[in-house]
Formats: sequence, structure tokens, C-alpha cells
Amino acid sequence: MGSSISKIPIRLLFIFEILSLSLIFMYRWDNLDFNTFATGIGLILLVYFSNSVLRRISSGDHYIFLIVSMMFSIGLIMIFRISSDLGVKQLLWLLIGIGVFFLSYFTIKKIDVWDKMITLYLGVAYGLFAMTFILGSRLRGAINWVNIGGVSFQPAEVTKIALIFFLAAYYFNLEKYSKNKYSEWIVMGIVYSYIGLLFLQRDLGTALIFFGIYTGLQYIYCSGRRYELANLSLAVLGGTLGYVLFDHVKVRVTTWINPWPYINDKGYQITQSLFAIAEGSYFGTGLGRGNPAFIPLSYNDFIFSSISEEMGVFTGIGIIMLFVLLVYRGFKIALLQNHKFYRIVALGISLMFGLQAFIIIGGAIKVIPLTGLTLPFISYGGSSIVSSFLALGILQGASEKVVKEDEYNE
Amino acid sequence: MFDILSVIFKYVFVIIIYLFIFTIIRMIYLDIKTIGSTTGDLKAYLKVLNPLDSIPYKMEDTYVLEDELTVGRSSDNSIVIRDPYVSKHHLKISLDESNYFIEDLKSSNGTMLNGNKLEDVSLLKTGDIIKAGDIELMFIHKG
Repeated sequence: MGSSISKIPIRLLFIFEILSLSLIFMYRWDNLDFNTFATGIGLILLVYFSNSVLRRISSGDHYIFLIVSMMFSIGLIMIFRISSDLGVKQLLWLLIGIGVFFLSYFTIKKIDVWDKMITLYLGVAYGLFAMTFILGSRLRGAINWVNIGGVSFQPAEVTKIALIFFLAAYYFNLEKYSKNKYSEWIVMGIVYSYIGLLFLQRDLGTALIFFGIYTGLQYIYCSGRRYELANLSLAVLGGTLGYVLFDHVKVRVTTWINPWPYINDKGYQITQSLFAIAEGSYFGTGLGRGNPAFIPLSYNDFIFSSISEEMGVFTGIGIIMLFVLLVYRGFKIALLQNHKFYRIVALGISLMFGLQAFIIIGGAIKVIPLTGLTLPFISYGGSSIVSSFLALGILQGASEKVVKEDEYNE
Repeated sequence: MFDILSVIFKYVFVIIIYLFIFTIIRMIYLDIKTIGSTTGDLKAYLKVLNPLDSIPYKMEDTYVLEDELTVGRSSDNSIVIRDPYVSKHHLKISLDESNYFIEDLKSSNGTMLNGNKLEDVSLLKTGDIIKAGDIELMFIHKG
């Protein structure tokens, strides 16, 4: 491949960021201070350098970080347009996120004991759940925020990664664990205990992701079909029970089937989201010329609708295509990886990104019942951005062939 | 002023985003094509039949056959199999007038060709299965 084509995406990204940030700075001219300006320029340079540095130091995949850079650039201008305060915060989170990306990339590469620490992953997951229940505060119906020393974050974002590592460690050491013939049931019990706890926190979207990751990995690596059958029947049973027992589940389903009678209360979010997308049409109203303020959480869960309104359905489709490419690259990384543990981790992370994007975009366009989730890399939110970059760094690390040859040398 | 710019930029943004996606797809496509051509145009090669993730050492999926190829445990072989049941220099495959011949290099545990122990130099046909240690290799020769 010639070097000419490989430079094009970085340049396009650079142009896109310059244009969008200058438009946003113009829009926010009145309350623009020097720091915001400097951080914006800093981000552009950082993205440019991270991409070129990564090409040099990483022998693995060169696409995922590029794709993600485009995603967060689109997200960032939208957040800036909605509120410049949030925009500045998002800029800082992105800077931290890119730092975390490199940190997790190097950690995954240098340390090689990940497949042996299954108890640690269990401990981390349960510890985070315990922390959420003890210190958590209820926000928009879900207890999933913890506030420590003024910094609030969602522990479930980290638990997702702990779940992937736990499953990877289990399936990697399957031979050892399958000496106990109930091991598969025990793992299923553990995963369902996570899902149950998330249900109690009313964090339905995350519960759905946990179920999706587990089902996907189980389908690929578990040999007995009866376990899958049990998993699926448990899911159907749990879903039905949840619908009958919990009011908040029922509301989601009713507003999904027909939100229009509840347009003033329960169905407000979803109908506003649909109005916004319809308003935008193919090319959108143009930045700063729509009304994303009508959509509740337009910078967070519903950022897809805000983007569709002001930048057009074409940009919305573009975002979906970017996610498809990201997941494709993730699967490709898994296929090229020889080491089974890293292969499962790569699969799990790709599944996580894909599912999360599907669940929230599907919710916003009323394809599936709405559950509150962030759109990875695009939505506003520190824990979402940082944990997504953490996962991306792991994926980048897994894209390099980790072959432990020394152990088998004579 | 801002409104006009905003309207112009919305088209520019869509164009840039799609150009970006298009270039990435094209780069991925070129990547796939270069990978594909290394096995697509091969005349003769050996394919490892064991699932690669069941082998506790590094092996490639396929090995190209040219004039001569050796299999064994030591690193100077064309195909290195780090299996204790494979001898340091286990077997040799060589080309003689567009036919490939296989020869056991007096290995301690022997080479199996289609389930029979290889005693003498033998002609290889497409689909023959060579077994050294636990590794099974399929010989494929096109045209």
C-alpha cells in the first residue's frame, strides 16, 4: 500500500476538526475564553500526533484509533454547540481519555499475567457493585453514579471490562475449570448475579450489554448447547418477570410500542427524539440552527438525535457506519490474534462497542425499547469516555500478536 | 453570516465524513487484497490442519512450497514445529521437475503420509496428509 492513501484519513480528520471547531468558536464567540481556545487547538494537535505516533509504535491495527477519532470529533462539536461548559469539560475528558488509551495499551502489552487473575476480576466487579449500592445516588431512576471527592463516575462502565476479562480468563482456562462439571453453571450464575444487581440499580441498558457479551462469548466458546438454551430461557423468563414486576420496565415497553398517547410525560423523550430526527432531514438544519434543547439529555443518551437534527441523517448513518467499521476491525483483530485469551478479550470489547451503539441508537430511533446508555466516544460523560478509551487501548494491545514462544523453547 | 456558514458547512461536514469512511474502507480493502494475493496465486503449499489455537507454539496457517522445504524442531528449518516428538530435522520436501517429493530425514518418531509410515522417498499428490508429531499438514498443488 502506498503511503499516499494512508495519510488521507488523518488529513480529512484534521480538516474536519479545524472547520468544526472554528464554526463552534464562532457560534460561541461571546463567551469564548483563551483556555477553551487553547484546549481545542491542543486536542487537534494531540489527535494528529497520537495517530501518527501510533502508526510508528504499534505493529497492530491502525484503523480503530482513527475511526474513534472521527467519532469523538463529531460528538465534541455537537456537545460544544449544546453547551460550551459541557464542551470544555468534554475536551478535558477526551485529553484524559487519550492518555488512558496509551496507558492501557502499554499496560496490556507489557504485563502478561492477565489470563491468571480470574478472582481479581470477580472481586473488582462485586466490589464496584457494593460501592454503587453503598455510596450510589439515584439519578434519573437509576442508581449508577458514585461520587467520591467531588468526582462522580459510573462504576458499571468499569464492571463491563471486568466482565469481559472474567469471561476471557474462564474460557481461556476452560480445560482446567471444566474438571468441575458445574463450572459452566457457576459462571452463568455469576453473570446473572451481575445482571440481577444491575436490574436492582435499574440500569437496564447496561444489564442488556452484560447479557449480550455473555451470550456472544458463550455461543462462540462454550461447547454444550444446553447451556445456551438455559441462558436464553433464563433471559426470556427474566425479561417477562421484569416486565410484570417492575413498573419502569413496563414504561419502556409501552412507550416503545406507542409513545404518542404519552407525549406529555412518559413518551416525551422518545417523541422529541423522533421529531428532531425528522426535522433534520438528509443534511440537517445546520449547526446552531436546530433545537436540540427540546430533547432531554440531548448531549448524552440522545446525542444521536441531536446530531441527526443539526448535521443530518447522512451524518447519523455515517456514525452507524463508523461503528460497523470499528466492530469489523475488532473482529478482525480477534481473528488475527493467536493467543486465545486476547482473542476473547478483543471479541468481548468489539461486542461491547457494537451492542452499546445498537442499543442506544436503536432506542433513540424507536427500533427497540429505550434504555439509558451513552453512545461510546460520542456522548458527553467522563466515565463513558474514559472507560471506552480504556477498552480501546486494550483492543489496540490485543491487535499485536502476543505469542509466548519462550516458554516452549528447548 | 453565521447562518450562511453553518448551512455551507453542513454539506462540507457530510462530504468529509463520507470521504473519511470511504478512504478507510478502501484502505481495509487494499489490506485484504494484499493478504489474499499471498495465498490466492500459490502453486503449491502446505496447510496446517490443526486448529491454530490448539497448538501451544507459533505456527502459520499455510506455508509456501518452493524448491526445497524442511520441517523440524530446530530454528533453521523452513517450518519449525516445537513439538518434543518432532526431530530437529524431521522431513524434507523437494521439487523435481514440477513434482514434489517427500523424504523422512531419519527422524526418531517417523513421518506419516496418509496414515502410513513413510519409508522411502515418495511422490506427493494434492490432498496428501503429512503428519509429524501431532501436527498434520495437507499438501496442496495447483496445476
